[in-house]
Amino acid sequence: MSALQKALKKGMTSCLSCHQLVILPANGGHCRCPRCGASVHGRIDGSLMLTWALTITGALLLLPANILPIMSAIYLGAGEPSTIISGVMQLYNSGMWGIALIVFVASIAVPVMKLLGLILLLVQIQLRLHFVPTQAMKIYRVVSGIGRWSLLDLFMISILAALVDMGFIAQVAAGPGSTAFASVVVITMLAARSFDPRLIWDAHDGDLYATAVEPETAHRSAAENG
Amino acid sequence: MDQLRNKKPIPWQRACHECDLLLTGGLAPPGQKLVCPRCRCTLHRNGNHSVYYTIALSLTGLLLFIPSASLPLLRFSLFSFGADNTLLNGVYSLYKAGFIWLASLVLFCSVLAPLGKFLLLLFICCGSAWKFLDRAVAFTVRWYQHIKEWGMLDVYMLGILVALIKLRDLGKMDVEPGLYCFGAMMLVANLSSLSFDQNAIWQRMALRRALREAAL
Ligand SMILES: [Zn+2]
Ligand SMILES: [Zn+2]
Repeated sequence: MSALQKALKKGMTSCLSCHQLVILPANGGHCRCPRCGASVHGRIDGSLMLTWALTITGALLLLPANILPIMSAIYLGAGEPSTIISGVMQLYNSGMWGIALIVFVASIAVPVMKLLGLILLLVQIQLRLHFVPTQAMKIYRVVSGIGRWSLLDLFMISILAALVDMGFIAQVAAGPGSTAFASVVVITMLAARSFDPRLIWDAHDGDLYATAVEPETAHRSAAENG
Repeated sequence: MDQLRNKKPIPWQRACHECDLLLTGGLAPPGQKLVCPRCRCTLHRNGNHSVYYTIALSLTGLLLFIPSASLPLLRFSLFSFGADNTLLNGVYSLYKAGFIWLASLVLFCSVLAPLGKFLLLLFICCGSAWKFLDRAVAFTVRWYQHIKEWGMLDVYMLGILVALIKLRDLGKMDVEPGLYCFGAMMLVANLSSLSFDQNAIWQRMALRRALREAAL
């Protein structure tokens, strides 16, 4: 294990913006990156609390996003507002199951999986459950990578609203659920950003609340352990 | 780096930004990438001629942005009625219907962030050649990191394709020339964020500083 050294134990950390190795001030505070000027913390400040808050907000907003109609399509005087789920069902029933699958994945599976993934990561870290860090990192990467695809449905509504605008013959308009859904997407993206993956490794190594240790002490404790 | 070397026996060059592992190798050799041995995240991808490729690609992207944003992308006609979709009129119809938050999100992710990415990349790559722009370039690199993930041209493209198939049965859908420009712009946007390597910029700035000091 002696080859694997943590930067925070040596009083250093990586600047999250430009990836420069920065020496943190000895009192455990934060400083500015000498290269790009970004604020550098040992770990993202209040990462777990912020991620919890955003995840819970996102989960709560997911209810109105799914219950309220996301758009309404009127064709030849007929038509009614549709929610996300009824929109997917409509597509499936009219035989476009490929499109139905894409919309289902983007608007239902991705937000739910994202929130579940974040909750799983947070619970694993806070309860110090036994977990494999490489698997947790896989969850983190999926969670932070897929979020943007949820905006698909909203982009589609904006395209349809411009294309199908013929008064009483055919008209597509956004519904109140779309505002809630837009907030869900933005909030879950911010939640994934505020989560600091280095906490996974801290929890794995058993020093979750590790603060910056001065190099001398770090050397001594390493010598004691070794 | 010098004071770091004097203080400690091992010359650490980099800490993995995803698992905090200290590494002695800082940069990848040309044409290769550096992967963290513990968490397998890509630390640095060293493409060839990153700066010049990024300048060329972001200029192309800016040129393609003009027709993509002004020409119609799709045309839908039903009986004798017809309507076009451009990048902006979808946003406008949402705004008109009172969905201001949704309209601004769509505007930001499909127009402003991609345009901003091209402009910032161009400024970063060209501006890193002058001393008086050092602070501005460092600031811009930071901002680029913030807006990077909000440019969603590829998601918008998928939205167009889904809309195209969805409306095909209802009326007549036509693909307009703007869509080809948009597709090309999407491709160029992805290539430019792939070819951009901020380490090349920092190295370029450090080299220029070293040359200046040597000349004095
Ligand atoms: Zn930095
Ligand atoms: Zn790593």
